[in-house]
Amino acid sequence: MKFVCSKHELYEAISTVQKAVMPKATLPILEGIYIEADENVRLVGNCFDLGIEFSVKADVMSAGSIVLNSRIFGDIVRKLPESEVFFEVKKNYNTVIECGNSYFEIKGMSAEGFPMLPEIEEEKKVSIAQMSLKEMIKKTIYAISTDENRKILTGSLIEVQDGEFTIVSLDGFRLALAKALIKEAVEFNAVIPGKNLNEIHKIMEQKEDEVKITLSENQALFEMNGCRIISKLLSGEFMNYKYFIPEQFETEITVDTREFINSIERASLITSDDRRFPVKLMISDDKMIVTSSAEIGISKEELKVEMDGLDITIGFNPRYLLDSLKVIDDEMIRVSFSSSVGPCVIKPIEGDRFIFMVLPVRMNS
Amino acid sequence: MKRTILHVDVNSAYLSWEAVYALQHGARVDLRTIPSVVGGDEKSRHGIVLAKSIPAKKFNIKTGEVLWSARMKCPNLVVLPPSYSLYIQCSNALVNLLKEYSPLVERYSIDECFMDLTGHCRNKSFEETAWEIKERCREELGFTVNVGISSNKLLAKMASEFEKPDKMHTLYPHEIPKKLWPLPVRELFLAGPRTIPVLYKLNIFTIGQLAHASPALLKQHLKSHGITLWKYANGIDNSPVTPGERIIKGIGNSTTTPFDVDNKKEAFLYLLSLTETVAMRLRDKGMMARVVAVTIRDTQLSFFSHQRKLAVPSNNTDYLYNEAKRLFTEMWQGNPLRHFGVHLSELTGNEFCQTSLFDNDFVLRRQSLDKSIDTIRLSHGSGAVIRGAFLHSGIPPLCGGVHESFPNMRSLL
Repeated sequence: MKFVCSKHELYEAISTVQKAVMPKATLPILEGIYIEADENVRLVGNCFDLGIEFSVKADVMSAGSIVLNSRIFGDIVRKLPESEVFFEVKKNYNTVIECGNSYFEIKGMSAEGFPMLPEIEEEKKVSIAQMSLKEMIKKTIYAISTDENRKILTGSLIEVQDGEFTIVSLDGFRLALAKALIKEAVEFNAVIPGKNLNEIHKIMEQKEDEVKITLSENQALFEMNGCRIISKLLSGEFMNYKYFIPEQFETEITVDTREFINSIERASLITSDDRRFPVKLMISDDKMIVTSSAEIGISKEELKVEMDGLDITIGFNPRYLLDSLKVIDDEMIRVSFSSSVGPCVIKPIEGDRFIFMVLPVRMNS
Repeated sequence: MKRTILHVDVNSAYLSWEAVYALQHGARVDLRTIPSVVGGDEKSRHGIVLAKSIPAKKFNIKTGEVLWSARMKCPNLVVLPPSYSLYIQCSNALVNLLKEYSPLVERYSIDECFMDLTGHCRNKSFEETAWEIKERCREELGFTVNVGISSNKLLAKMASEFEKPDKMHTLYPHEIPKKLWPLPVRELFLAGPRTIPVLYKLNIFTIGQLAHASPALLKQHLKSHGITLWKYANGIDNSPVTPGERIIKGIGNSTTTPFDVDNKKEAFLYLLSLTETVAMRLRDKGMMARVVAVTIRDTQLSFFSHQRKLAVPSNNTDYLYNEAKRLFTEMWQGNPLRHFGVHLSELTGNEFCQTSLFDNDFVLRRQSLDKSIDTIRLSHGSGAVIRGAFLHSGIPPLCGGVHESFPNMRSLL
């Protein structure tokens, strides 16, 4: 096997597939990257929970395949000068990597026995613009639970129904939902582990190009710009999230997003995180007073809002509010409160491209 | 600023106090003059020596030793059961006496106090005052104390450990090479059974050798604890005397079982029983806990501990008990057990409570249930309401929780 390709492209491929390689595995082959030269060059990393395949444009002189240790192969290529890389497998899996004036010869492993990515040929397919999916993941991924006792919530639900593509994350204290429209009339539900979704988010680019998602019984395949990502699904039933989102509200306000963020950030300056002092919102007469008090002192400021409904006083963990507000690009938002101990819902002024729900802190005193 | 710190340590505290009590109630022998010990209840397997008289010490009886082996060493040994409420009374009396001299009195454990005398001795020298305190303890309170004087808490504590009983010692910084450094390193505060072998391996046998060792070397072998010990060996300690109740960092409760526990059902009952008292105390203090820890000890006396941070702080008995159960199940290998403990830490106030999607109404209902049970138990005794699970189980429905106010020696000065 012999090929020539650009260092830059090769390194991009390595760093992408490395996300799916186990740093420590029981078998050396599982710590490796599979490299195959055919018409193009294909790199594969697979740790069973997540598998990534990435194609690189190359000038292939002879076909073949090999597995190289991911760490050493990655380190070598990263340090090579920006030039053409010459790659050749010699006898006994000895692999030559040459670039500029540097020459490496490292021991490889037989490609036999490498766990190749399964082929997924299913009917359930959906396409969505990369930048759109990337944005939706960003809007929801922070609300994924870290509680291993509720495994299903450590992932995000992807729900496709009636031409809508929805991602939902929830950890019990807040919920984040983002929605986009699609052309296909398919229906599917899948819960993707948060860790994998995070990697997928990093690999996707800010482009209109589409990512194609195919679903099988227990795996989901994401295909985009020469890259195939296979993620296992979390098994089990996701919470019926719709049931939790209230529809009746006591109080609703329209507020400037940036101003709201700033005032909560200022208020949380004096509430130390470990004692979980809440930030208190007092809403009345088209005004919202944001206050906080901790052992060290108090803070207070007033914000102009447009208000409907009853006066309300409610407390929140400022971090939960900020996590949601910070992923919003809209200038103005609609915040609705069901009661002073019930969930609050944050939505755009029009439509429901995103719905964030945060549960309040009950103040006993 | 140069400070003058006193460390007052009651000589064989539990035993002295028992002796004083006995004498006041007409006993003719002073327990301190015969071989005697205060020991736990052997029937429920708490049978170890808690305190010993000086004649008992001559028989080579050690604190922490099991009672039967102490009896082998000295067949005439007098064994007294402990009475913690008496000890708390005596400890309070000592604190009150010390407070006549300075408001800065810190109760370090039930039988030890630190006090800061800086600026509080008008007409007398510090030594004279210390002497007077020592004399007054013997005359007025009836038990003897050792008093250590120095310029910081560590040195004062080391000084009071010198010759016993009823003695006053000074250990000012200039006296360190003469008085502190020749001592074996195991005498140093916080040089415990885990640290000592490491120090021995480094050829450090005396406090002086430790003081002259390289801090970098100690850090390499003992992490930050090495630096602390090196500072202590050099008499460096800047911790202040902090009077009053210290901030509670955690609440725990443990019990030794009267029989070996070899099944989950009984183990869970013990955990529930401990959680009942711990959670009650937590609620009584108006706090919630974020971390639950379970400790167990098997019949080989091997010790295991496992803890987890909760998603939300809680003070609910059931919630904490379920977590304790889970921790226990993850940790237990199936070997017979003789000791259980439940500890709660990372305490926060209960003024605020993050609501959750999963247990909204339920939490409120459980809270009011806990509250009602606490009220009934407070006014009618802790046995007034018990859980049905304990009926005919032979396991007390509420375990431990008697001598909670004075935890054993803290590892922090």
